[in-house]
Amino acid sequence: MHKTKKAASMILASLLSISLTACGSGGTDSGTSASNGNKNAKVTLELAISKSSQDSAFIQQDILDEFEKQTNISVNLQLIPAEQTTTVLQTKLAVDETPDIIQYNLASAVTDLNLERNFEILDNESWASRIVNKDVLSAAGHIYSFHVSQDTGMQGVVYNKQIFADLGLSIPTSYDQFLAICEKIKAGGITPVFMPYKDAWAANIWPAAAFADFVAKNDPSFFDELNSNKKKWSDIPEFKTFLEQQYEVYTKGYTNADVLSDSYDMAVGKFLNKEVAMMFMGDWLIEGVAQQDPSMELGVFPIPSSEDAKLGASPLGGQLFIPKKAKHLNEAKQFLDFIASKEIAQEIVDSKGYVSNFSDVTTPELPAYKQDIVDNYITPKKTVLTTDAYMLVDRSELYRLLQDQFAGGLTPEEVLKSWDEKFSQLMQDKGVSGF
Amino acid sequence: MKRAKNLYSYYMVFPALLIYSVFFVIPAIAAFYYSFTDWRLDRMDLKFIGWDNFEKIFSDKTLILALKNTAIFAVVTVAGKNIIGLLLAVALNMRLKTKNLLRAIFYSPSILSILVISILFTPMLRTEGTINRVLEAVGLHSLSQAWLTNPSLVIWTIAIVSIWQSAGFQMAIYLAGLQSISQEYYEAAKIDGASSWKSFFKITLPLLLPAININLMLTLIGGLKVFSEVYVMTGGGPGNASQVVGTIILRSFGEGNWGLGTAVNTLLFVVVTIIAIPLLVFMRRKEVTE
Repeated sequence: MHKTKKAASMILASLLSISLTACGSGGTDSGTSASNGNKNAKVTLELAISKSSQDSAFIQQDILDEFEKQTNISVNLQLIPAEQTTTVLQTKLAVDETPDIIQYNLASAVTDLNLERNFEILDNESWASRIVNKDVLSAAGHIYSFHVSQDTGMQGVVYNKQIFADLGLSIPTSYDQFLAICEKIKAGGITPVFMPYKDAWAANIWPAAAFADFVAKNDPSFFDELNSNKKKWSDIPEFKTFLEQQYEVYTKGYTNADVLSDSYDMAVGKFLNKEVAMMFMGDWLIEGVAQQDPSMELGVFPIPSSEDAKLGASPLGGQLFIPKKAKHLNEAKQFLDFIASKEIAQEIVDSKGYVSNFSDVTTPELPAYKQDIVDNYITPKKTVLTTDAYMLVDRSELYRLLQDQFAGGLTPEEVLKSWDEKFSQLMQDKGVSGF
Repeated sequence: MKRAKNLYSYYMVFPALLIYSVFFVIPAIAAFYYSFTDWRLDRMDLKFIGWDNFEKIFSDKTLILALKNTAIFAVVTVAGKNIIGLLLAVALNMRLKTKNLLRAIFYSPSILSILVISILFTPMLRTEGTINRVLEAVGLHSLSQAWLTNPSLVIWTIAIVSIWQSAGFQMAIYLAGLQSISQEYYEAAKIDGASSWKSFFKITLPLLLPAININLMLTLIGGLKVFSEVYVMTGGGPGNASQVVGTIILRSFGEGNWGLGTAVNTLLFVVVTIIAIPLLVFMRRKEVTE
């Protein structure tokens, strides 16, 4: 009896160890063929992408099939649950289980994924010389990401063109004009501005564009000095003014009453019901409204924080990145070359209605609001990268401080002072020199 | 033979002990170690930094505020859940025709997840929400408040929602305790001419101490570990007004500061242990048996 038990235990143990070995080896078979010494073996690129980006132009099956046909390189998609994308990618990069290509967004890659340490600089890639707007793909002076579009989301004041036309209003080019417009809209029985600041990030749209516009015109080296601890956010008196302006729009009664209870997901409905005329937001809101009611005519103009401000260009969007430790670095770059080829890039730009970022790829007919943005802001170069592009640390505490201003807990000076302290601590934790 | 029987009980415990060790004891020890490091996933050079993380906790205004909010929440909910739970239990232990229906009604919120309760209450607590409209409809305009957006009120509001959700559960435990008390004591007290109040304080409360102990422990530990209701209803806001230790841990991890997040977690563990164990020992000593 005892012997039977012992034999059964050994068999069980053997089965367990075999099954564990099988699990351990299963995850690596696709991506390691090149390193097995067989140079003719087919390479499979691992492309990691959030499930929420499943409609990404870069992973359309016909494009992946064409790439495989031309190069004999296949692409395996690693779909990561949206809420876990950052953690999963951080872990993969930390333990050197890096995918060959990652789709993420540039601004968050800087703060979440340690862009400079983990990703390849793409300045010298063959397609880089054809890029029209390098800013939207760059951080720390280098191209780190890839996209065929330069339209990564414009931030300003989204407005209802019909309400403006009915009330005989034109786009304001100064803060005073903006207040005058708010007064007229309010008199017309419509809420001038919708502020959904239960979502703290929404409170950052005004300062992110206003700060960036001001320093671009008056103190271009500000962000370099900020990130080396030579200057602080509170050093620029105008930043305080911009925060006061946004708050004043609220205190003058030009907004929804419950700014801290209302959330962004209510915004589309508010515009569809014509309850509100304006909102400090990105043009993605216009896309959301158009999906529900294509007849709604919305547009976007710059945050009117100072005379003739520029339209904020968000560094967000889903770009492609190549980790330095990618197992198939050259093949990954080959994939970008393929997407950047005139034919494929044109195909993507046409199907998605993108504003092309390649000099030899034509931008197709765009929706009216997007065409306005191209004509009035992108082509005449009246855009400015929002502050998100320059911050090396997690920004959520800044958003909370801005929210606190609306809760009556902090003055604009205190917001900037508190953010200086938190910013300094985050930079110090990150090991940035000078802090 | 007896020895073999004793060993048999160890065989039965071993799998559970192994799982408990792998999934709790070892991670807890590892977390204790990591709380003394500058652990960040974006840096590979993990360094032992002594008490730095803990010093940072006590020099960060938001963390202090979070500790204060957690303490307020714990005290308010421990008191609210237990007083209301006990009153409901005593009331529904009487000979009422509708007692079973009322017990079910008061117990039912605790069946629902606190996440669901929080999601339901969030719009009701808006400035223009149902609660304020009801108050205004009955002429209590002055009680109408910005329940979740007034920084000085928000943590109290969340605590009241938590009490509303859980008092029925405490009631069920008190009811079980009350029903285990023999009626003979009350009959004897009645013969001796004791009033209802005297019976309550001299018979009910002392014999209910085991149930009180369980409820105090459950509500205290739950209160100190509060997270879900704050996360759903305010996310720690407006600003940082309703931050609690649980949301600060989440914030630290979100900022990539894993060492600090682990240190806050370790601190919470220590605080819960320091409060809960002496309280448990003290209350146990007070218990009496029938």
